[in-house]
Amino acid sequence: MFRTGEYIGSRYFTAMKLSHQILLGFSIVIILSLVDSYTNYLLSLKVRQNADFISRSETIIRNSSQLHKSIIEMQSAFRGYLLTHDSTFLQLYEKGIVQVPTLMAVQRSLVTDSAQVNLLNNINRLHHQWLNYSTALINAKKDALGNRTSEAKYNNLFETRLRKQVGKKLNDEITEKFNEFDRFEYNNRQTRGKLLISSIEQTHKFSFLFLSLTIIVGLTSTIYIFRLISTRIASMVKVAEKISKGDFSIVKDTRNDELTGLSTSLNVMSAKLSKNISELEKRNSELNQFAYVVSHDLKAPLRGIYNVVHWIEEDLGNELSPQLAKYLNIIPQRTKRMEDLINGLLDFARLRERTTAEVVDTYQIVKDIAELLIPRDFTVEIGPLPDLYAERIKVEQVFINIISNAVKYTNRPDGVIRVSSRELGEFYEFTISDNGMGIDPEYHEKIFEIFQTLREKNEKESTGIGLAITKKIIDDQHGTIRVESEPEKGASFIFTWPKILPI
Amino acid sequence: MAQNITDMSKSKKHSILLVEDDELDVISVERSLKKLDDSYELHTAYNGKEALSMLKSGHLFPDLILLDLNMPKMNGIEFLKAIRQDEQLKNIKVFIMTTSGEMSDRSMANQLGISGYIIKPLNFNNNTKRSDSMDAFVQFHIRKIFSDTGQ
Repeated sequence: MFRTGEYIGSRYFTAMKLSHQILLGFSIVIILSLVDSYTNYLLSLKVRQNADFISRSETIIRNSSQLHKSIIEMQSAFRGYLLTHDSTFLQLYEKGIVQVPTLMAVQRSLVTDSAQVNLLNNINRLHHQWLNYSTALINAKKDALGNRTSEAKYNNLFETRLRKQVGKKLNDEITEKFNEFDRFEYNNRQTRGKLLISSIEQTHKFSFLFLSLTIIVGLTSTIYIFRLISTRIASMVKVAEKISKGDFSIVKDTRNDELTGLSTSLNVMSAKLSKNISELEKRNSELNQFAYVVSHDLKAPLRGIYNVVHWIEEDLGNELSPQLAKYLNIIPQRTKRMEDLINGLLDFARLRERTTAEVVDTYQIVKDIAELLIPRDFTVEIGPLPDLYAERIKVEQVFINIISNAVKYTNRPDGVIRVSSRELGEFYEFTISDNGMGIDPEYHEKIFEIFQTLREKNEKESTGIGLAITKKIIDDQHGTIRVESEPEKGASFIFTWPKILPI
Repeated sequence: MAQNITDMSKSKKHSILLVEDDELDVISVERSLKKLDDSYELHTAYNGKEALSMLKSGHLFPDLILLDLNMPKMNGIEFLKAIRQDEQLKNIKVFIMTTSGEMSDRSMANQLGISGYIIKPLNFNNNTKRSDSMDAFVQFHIRKIFSDTGQ
């Protein structure tokens, strides 16, 4: 916008807190409005003043006419009486003598201009001069009605027609003064009128100016503050998004106002998350290393042992006594067991490789496992099984563990193993049942614990880990697993698996 | 020296130099080779330094070197570099034995020129309980190498 001005102003401006900035913006707008209102108020006073003046001026003019009219009436009355001796004229005249001063006084009180006051005084003076002249003549006339000597006096006065001209002259002068007076008043009015119009115009200009300023300041500060806040907030939102995606950047906040608190919190959180994640990653890689060591370096000697036994068997197989052969045979069993234990532990700790989820054809998996693990003479019934969206290796493990368990504990030639499923809300429920030796209810919980096995350790391979792993896999999927069984009445392993992969 | 070399290559017995530190692995290779029809002369060095001195002594000129890559005291790659720089030794065929994880070593060795590789563990096949991989390796690859060279 206005680059330089904004820059200079903004240096002070930005040091302020946000609330102060907003307050300042509003204050400026309010002050401008007040000034505008005040200007208009002044104008209204001026208009009122003018109205008062006009009405006064009209009164003055009215009075002036009345006064003039009274004086002229007196003059007419005077002439009339002189001509007709009619006493009505005399009454009029005398009425005028009283009326004129009254009116004059009223006019004097209204008039303030010195020029006009002078005119009034002149009129007054002239009128008095005329009064002297007229009164003398009237008195003379009154007297003349009585006797002859007074009539001569009257005639004398009358003769001095010059005097009548005098009277006329006076009257003319008076008229002229009145005209001047009125003209003056009218001029005054005009001047006043023009002044008022120019005041109005000026006020309009000021009003417009203030209005414009108000709008400009209002808009500018609104936009400024809005942009300020929204860019700050937008940058915080961006950082928050970055954090949620794993990029632990921080908000750059050089001001020190209300929003800074928020940025600080965000930065602290980001730093903590970053630290925690890198610690976790470090731990994770340590664990991976551990898993590597365990799986390779622990299993290597086992392989060596197995190899040597195998070589002995290869080289000396025929020469070995049965006893020796039997002893020799024990070694691979034990080494295999150890290797299974190691693998089982790695599975349990889920340190083996992670796989990705995919659509799994459960029916096919179970069929393959059944072919692999279930003896030929068993009866196998596999009902329709739904596809699952899961990590294939986990689904396989669960079924392998349970089915091999079922096989292990079904020690009869007519063994029957059934696999079925049904929908249960958001889960599928799978049931694997056998008609084996069953499990005492006392152990229904225990069998899922790690290293719990219900058989002797050297009878058939049983590491005691299989079901624990199975339970762990199912727990991780937020499913459930339980067993329904009684001794000699077979066992049913029932577990649930979610229809949708849990996050 | 040259005389020796010619004599050696004319003899029907192929000689193989095995460079391997693990005793069991050595035995394993020995046993597998014994199963072959042809007889091979097997020489063993337990580390790179030993192997190098054996080669430089002039008494030994193997047709094939079986080289284990991770050994103490001069590992496989260093040994390979050393022999490739030697005029007399640089053309000997080398097969390397390496664990499954060491891709970088394999590619490094590849750059130095090898005839192939085999992945350890050498011979423990859990499911079939037989010394499958080593026997197979020996019977296929080694036979092939020597039949290719015409001897």
